[in-house]
Amino acid sequence: MALLSIENLTVEFNTPFGAVYAIRGIDFTLRKGEILGLVGETGCGKSVTGRSIIGLLDDNARITAGRILFEDVDLLRLSDAAMHEVRGNRIAMIFQDPATALNPLFTIGAQIMDVLRAHRPAKRGDLKTDAMSLFADVGLPDPAQMMHVYPHQLSGGQQQRAMIALSLAAEPDVIIADEPTTALDVTIQAQILDLLRVLQRERSISVILITHDLGIVAETCQQVVVLYAGRVAEKGAVEAIFAAPQHPYTRGLLAALPRPGSRGSDLQVIAGAVPSGLERIAGCAFAPRCEYVMEICRGQQPAFSDIKQAHQSACHLHETFADA
Amino acid sequence: MPEPLLRVDDLSMVYQRRAGLLGRRAQQIRALNGVSFSLGAGETLGIVGESGCGKSTLARCILRLLRPSGGRIRFDGDDLLALPDEGMRVMRQRMQMVLQNPFSSLNPRLSGFELVAEPLRTHTAMSRMEMADRVASLLAEVGLGVEFMSRHPHQLSGGQAQRTALARALALNPDFIILDEPTSALDVSVQAQIINLLLGLQRQRGLTYLFITHDLSVVQHISDRIAVMYLGKIVEETSSEAIFANPQHPYTQALLSSTPVPDPAADRQRTILPGAVPSAANPPSGCAFHTRCPQAMDICRAQYPAARFVARSHRVSCHLYDESA
Repeated sequence: MALLSIENLTVEFNTPFGAVYAIRGIDFTLRKGEILGLVGETGCGKSVTGRSIIGLLDDNARITAGRILFEDVDLLRLSDAAMHEVRGNRIAMIFQDPATALNPLFTIGAQIMDVLRAHRPAKRGDLKTDAMSLFADVGLPDPAQMMHVYPHQLSGGQQQRAMIALSLAAEPDVIIADEPTTALDVTIQAQILDLLRVLQRERSISVILITHDLGIVAETCQQVVVLYAGRVAEKGAVEAIFAAPQHPYTRGLLAALPRPGSRGSDLQVIAGAVPSGLERIAGCAFAPRCEYVMEICRGQQPAFSDIKQAHQSACHLHETFADA
Repeated sequence: MPEPLLRVDDLSMVYQRRAGLLGRRAQQIRALNGVSFSLGAGETLGIVGESGCGKSTLARCILRLLRPSGGRIRFDGDDLLALPDEGMRVMRQRMQMVLQNPFSSLNPRLSGFELVAEPLRTHTAMSRMEMADRVASLLAEVGLGVEFMSRHPHQLSGGQAQRTALARALALNPDFIILDEPTSALDVSVQAQIINLLLGLQRQRGLTYLFITHDLSVVQHISDRIAVMYLGKIVEETSSEAIFANPQHPYTQALLSSTPVPDPAADRQRTILPGAVPSAANPPSGCAFHTRCPQAMDICRAQYPAARFVARSHRVSCHLYDESA
């Protein structure tokens, strides 16, 4: 069942250099109880997508087209007050750097009690019990003591756990996690990703996991959306896309990764660089870097082709081969 | 056997820090604790470990940017710690370093030409014309055109800036380059370009690399040998192939199992370590890894395990491989 549908989302930023096209019309669907990976390189629009959903875009951003349907309600048409209800209660967000996302002046306990008080009317004693049980749920040691601890007294991994506890406080249906493990060491990253999987399983929370790491997608997500220059290049079930990537960009990305046994050999590279957000793109955004580029790619934006059920790729090659 | 280009013996580094109220309590942080390895000319040694394991301190000690507290560093037969400052200055022409973030390591006020020419100006008596030729050819070697001579760091992409940093490191024809997380700040497609460039430069110039990173898949691609560090010590060292095929130390095994693999069909046995790396200011007794080790025994809490060879050129420090065990 579709919980959250993004339809033709288009976001621009006003800058002194002109309009920056951060998202150029993207579509995807998050289903209930699923972890969806939003993957791409710097500037592909993955964080802007996350922030658009939760209504936390910077002041110079403008959503120029599209809909964000959450349980069939368009979040973009909600009043500020109604969006405030959705944010936290229904959709929560965690960020890359928990040290800056947590308030350094208050104990972790005070911060989580704040969230609980706002979202669940209850007696003070119950709030404290609830807070401690959330700390226990996210694997923080000694929940009673956590009530009195300040963010700087925690390690990076513990800070991210505290952040996740805060986001769970209002029992949201969706968590948007923006590079939640990028600032952490690999052994700590493994702990946090494991925690997200447990939350998904035990609370059937749906997660949008924003990452640049295809390994994390392969190990954590059921669905993946590959973004390039503010557009979706390819999307579908993780198994299908990793087993048989169709879009030349997805193929290039996977081929560029060093893997065990590849030692000393040259890695495949994708020539050139990502287009600037200042450019208007008429055809396929990947055309200037694509080794299979054809005449049509430069002039016309490719539509999605169904590769299989639940696997779509936006590339003119698919049409060419389908006709042949 | 020929003398290795770089030989590090029992290196230790203790930082002094003032702690407590008004800094009245002296605190010692043992960042390196008896590190030994050697590196042959033309080889690449990968140093892998998590934050705080001492890998960057090791790099700075080798270049004598920090004075180690103990141990010996021999480079091409010379004892680096015994060299007078002038001798070390000359020696540094042969030893260079490239850092993770080129935007903080490159002076933002200098142009590409000035950045790459700076070491030439410091260490040689080249004329400006000679320098211009030399800078152009260095930039070409790292895949940048002459137009990059006039570009400033803010006009460069991450990959172009890292290429500029490499050209600068190559300016004095070094034998040895320390690469400290050179691709960690780059996107996947750009990372592949820089790795290929590093491999190509090594083939053409016969460079020796010390490659420091937290990323096991990157390090295995570029290294001949890999040393795994935990809290100031090398816990395992062996060939790049053996680290993946036959990891022996429980920490190496956990690191490998924590590294995400881009293959959803892979059959993964996941070992998730509890807790975090302990503080180097107050390291655990015995083997520092025992607080997180799934196989810790009584002896691990009491005594640090000596390094042992479990196979030819495969050394591990772990009580699991004690002879009596």
